[in-house]
Amino acid sequence: MPNIIKPLVFNVIAECKTSKARASKMILPHGPVDTPVFMPVGTQGTLKGMLPEKLNEMGLQIMLANTYHLGTKPGPEILKKAGGLHKFMNWDRNLLTDSGGFQMVSLLKLAEINEQGVKFQSLNKEKGEVMLTPEHSIEIQNAIGADIIMQLDDVIKTTSPDKSRIEESVYRTTRWLDRCIEAHSNPDTQNIFPIVQGTLYEDLRIISAHDLTKRNLNGFAIGGLSGGESKDDFWKIVHLCTDLLPKNKPRYLMGVGFATDLVVCSALGVDMFDCVFPTRTARFGCALTMTGQLNLKKTKYAKDFKPIDKDCWCSTCKNYTRAYLSGIVTDLPIASTLLTEHNVAFQMRLMQKIRDSICEGKFPEFVQAFMLGVHPDKCYPTWIIDSLMAVNITLL
Amino acid sequence: MKFHILTLNRRAPRLGVLKDVEDRPNVQIETPVALLHTQGGHIPHVTHEVFKLVSNEPQILQISLVSMHCFQETMEYYHGGISEFIGSKDSLTCLTLHDPSNITKQGHHVKDKIPIWTKHGKVLYNSEMYMNIVEHFKPDMYYLLSDGDTNKTSPQKRISKAVENTISFSKQCLERHKKSQLLKNKFVMAPIAGGYCVKARDKCIEALLKEGDVFSGFLIDGLHNNGPEVEFLPFAEVKGVVNYVVKKLPDEKLISVQGCWNPLNVIKLVQLGIDVFDTSYCRILTERSSALTFNIEENEDEENYEINLRDSKFSEDFNPIFDVCKCLACTKYSKAYIHHLLTVQELLAPVLIMIHNIHHYLRFFKKIRECIGNNTLERLEEQISNQYKKHHDKILNKNEDEYRNGFSSGNESEELL
Ligand SMILES: [Zn+2]
Ligand SMILES: [Zn+2]
Repeated sequence: MPNIIKPLVFNVIAECKTSKARASKMILPHGPVDTPVFMPVGTQGTLKGMLPEKLNEMGLQIMLANTYHLGTKPGPEILKKAGGLHKFMNWDRNLLTDSGGFQMVSLLKLAEINEQGVKFQSLNKEKGEVMLTPEHSIEIQNAIGADIIMQLDDVIKTTSPDKSRIEESVYRTTRWLDRCIEAHSNPDTQNIFPIVQGTLYEDLRIISAHDLTKRNLNGFAIGGLSGGESKDDFWKIVHLCTDLLPKNKPRYLMGVGFATDLVVCSALGVDMFDCVFPTRTARFGCALTMTGQLNLKKTKYAKDFKPIDKDCWCSTCKNYTRAYLSGIVTDLPIASTLLTEHNVAFQMRLMQKIRDSICEGKFPEFVQAFMLGVHPDKCYPTWIIDSLMAVNITLL
Repeated sequence: MKFHILTLNRRAPRLGVLKDVEDRPNVQIETPVALLHTQGGHIPHVTHEVFKLVSNEPQILQISLVSMHCFQETMEYYHGGISEFIGSKDSLTCLTLHDPSNITKQGHHVKDKIPIWTKHGKVLYNSEMYMNIVEHFKPDMYYLLSDGDTNKTSPQKRISKAVENTISFSKQCLERHKKSQLLKNKFVMAPIAGGYCVKARDKCIEALLKEGDVFSGFLIDGLHNNGPEVEFLPFAEVKGVVNYVVKKLPDEKLISVQGCWNPLNVIKLVQLGIDVFDTSYCRILTERSSALTFNIEENEDEENYEINLRDSKFSEDFNPIFDVCKCLACTKYSKAYIHHLLTVQELLAPVLIMIHNIHHYLRFFKKIRECIGNNTLERLEEQISNQYKKHHDKILNKNEDEYRNGFSSGNESEELL
């Protein structure tokens, strides 16, 4: 075969000697991605009023877009004519798209899943019944052209009590993966990631991971978490899944993005994260810092002439005071763009600290200092103590 | 800051320059100029960082008190000036009372006070409160407090009252100004009130010229009550009074008007001798999802005066808004993408449209200055006039309300997340 370059190269650069954390470089068709990485969500092919030029300047290497939304508007035909989403939105770095399945099940109450796919009532005027099949999801994702695309999976509520239905979803997800691989028309430029399912059942997670890893793909996702389960259940499943998945491939934990969760799950060996939280919370006037959140709507900031975070390199912190941001936060749409910029920068800064400390062999010390910053009274939630203990990190 | 006239023709149309700015010896701003209209200290939708991608030339931000009232108390405790506070310390600032892009509610007058309409309701300002703000904001230029609540239909009684108020506000403000060390070198502009009554204008001018030395410029106020309506003000209505006032004022002073004037009227006002405008017109276009596409250079051949990007005919149009435009929106983004952003109500849509509109409007002002320099302003007027009239006829045939509110897109998207 002439000149086929693998669309994903993953090299682990450094491993933490204490925990399962690792720092890696992943090369995708639109450039490198340093992991562990957080991917902000640009649902409709745009990120809360931010210019891609600006995101580029900030050093963002990958963002997420939603297949369900883009498949509805502007639709695959226009995206194809535009030459894919990268060109359409003027973003020449990496993109990841979800399968659209999760959005349907969570957004559309009438969605119904059978072996063929996800059946739902169209949002269009005609209100006809539409079926999202694995093939259809991949077809849209091929039109979007993201560097990493996700298989359509059989999504079950994490807290569902029906084990036989969950078991069915595990096997069905594997069957759908094979249909996705079969339908995938750009394997040289787009990586398809399978999704490990099985909610909180360890035996089902083992079956799922075992079956999926048999397909020789370039990376794997852990799905079905971050859906209302307890934190005690959550970390144990992440811990299990990272043990089950191959060491030489990236592991993507879907829908996780709170600072504490990012630190813990990096320690458990996760490489990629995404979440709408940092950008969505910006819209409500909330700015993220290493020690917690500031709600700039509060009047107490009216005479506070400090930046949101003096250690932040973002242009919002360089140019604006809390007092100014607080005064415009409810009135100007621009305020949510300024706070989004800070929150995206915050997530990037946190991930940078995680990567740097792994590379310098000081990750456990970083975790200790971070947790102490968030909980200065040392009243750590037990799930944090337990999860970190499981990877040999004890808190101060 | 000082104003110098550059052309031999000292009256109209003329070229000038604002220079010798305190602490900024290298800054020069050529006139006729459009101040950058802001709300809450920002060009609507465009952050100061993004604006740097649109233009690196020095600019004057038009700061309206009405949109900054919420910072009244904050600024008492802040040590810097308003340009630093809003995050644009390299810009010059000009403080004004009302936001020219929004209609100013008429009436509600109280003795010795002027009502402004903030987002949180009516607030009454007297000269002292106003001058407190001026001292705390420390703008490079500012207008004295005025009563500009007049328009073509105002009764004589309202006009007389407006003049009376403006004269007394101006006197009070001026007293404070003269005593203030902080404001010593600031560029002060006096408001001329009096609606469409020449006698009333005379009275106002006469009273203010007694203090003529302190003023570096004038504002012809009271022509309208701001807002999108100004776009459609027939020039014939304003011509007489503007011409009259300009001729009465000393020719070495800067003369400004405010409001969403369409480009054709801007040229006509320049021809009468107006030096200073603002970019509020760009905001009202952007709010109706329209981009300016009138031709500025003779070799440009766009058919339409403006285009509404909500129009579904753009859904597969991968060309830029304006082919020859060098702005960030036109060099990197397509009409199809902006149309998509509009249909899904994303914040980036007005950002990109505004970037283009401001860029286009500033380019238009540059062209005006070039045309004054080489005596071709009439040719520019004719060129824009043809395109504007065609456009105006077209919209007169349509329902004007529909036009102003933007096209209904027919497929409004539900907010999903
Ligand atoms: Zn910041
Ligand atoms: Zn442009």
